[in-house]
Amino acid sequence: PPPKRDDRKRCWDARDAYFLCLDASNFLAPGSETGVTCKKERKTYDGSCAKSWVEYFDKRRVLEARQKAMLEAQE
Amino acid sequence: MFHRHIILRSIYQVERTFCRRKNPFTGCPCTPASLLLLSRRRYGTVPESPEEHREKAAVGPFTWRAALVFVATGAGLYWYFTNEKAKVQEQKRKELADYKVGKARVGGPFTLVTHTGAPFTEQDILGKWSLVYFGFTNCPDICPDELDKMTDVVNTMDTEFGPIVQPIFISCDPARDSVEQMHDYISDFHPRMIGLTGTYDAVKATCKAYRVYFSTPPNTKPGDDYLVDHSIFFYLMDPNGEFVDAFGKSNSADDVRQKVRKAVQEWKSLSP
Repeated sequence: PPPKRDDRKRCWDARDAYFLCLDASNFLAPGSETGVTCKKERKTYDGSCAKSWVEYFDKRRVLEARQKAMLEAQE
Repeated sequence: MFHRHIILRSIYQVERTFCRRKNPFTGCPCTPASLLLLSRRRYGTVPESPEEHREKAAVGPFTWRAALVFVATGAGLYWYFTNEKAKVQEQKRKELADYKVGKARVGGPFTLVTHTGAPFTEQDILGKWSLVYFGFTNCPDICPDELDKMTDVVNTMDTEFGPIVQPIFISCDPARDSVEQMHDYISDFHPRMIGLTGTYDAVKATCKAYRVYFSTPPNTKPGDDYLVDHSIFFYLMDPNGEFVDAFGKSNSADDVRQKVRKAVQEWKSLSP
């Protein structure tokens, strides 16, 4: 069955919570965090989203940050 | 006394009109009336010679021939310019009409199946405006966002024009997007949305016709977990099934609304 609106929302919310945790602890790349930092959030995120989605969101986070840095450097 | 002068002058002019002219520069030989005119003193000045008198009459600004030439030229110029202006306007109007036909060759024949299992071809988009989006149901966030945007736009068009715009979602992941899958998926979006899927070859051919890039390999199984890389556009097609415009992630719902509204209004104004 396809992911429906509430499935998607659940995944996006879990992702956002995890990414906010990473931001707060100053980690950019998901998976680069040390120790138990954001472990709980990561578990919820992995449980709410398909693996291909997790990979996609993680990659995009890094890519977007790099693009932002590049644009800021140009100004 | 004065009346005599006028009568003689009229006779003189009539004689001039009817006299035969072999050489336009010598004018008519003296006629009896002209001789009488010439012999008469008028304003106490020295009587004019025949040449002077002819010259005066000839260069007077309002001779009939000159007047005729003037009017004819004026009319001719007016007609010429009106004609040219009409031609330029016609050319402009043609260019505007051709503007739609001269656009990118997006679209063409296709054979797919709807979310209810009914056949659907390019004939089924005729007679209505269509917003066509290519995506897949396992899409993380872009497809749902674009479909929400499309739904928003179609809702507005419904209130402004009635149900003349049909939203269409075409899958580029036929392995996983079965008819049931499509049916389930599109229930989240506009009630009139049509979901289209088909065989791998049919989907590939449709994407090709619409110039949509997609990366699904042919041998995936329904349970596989993968993402499809695809170009993110939705296309506006007119009631003739012709491509009008493409909208991407950077176009807001308002952008799209404006452009669709404009296209529909232009279409209405050009139709009889």
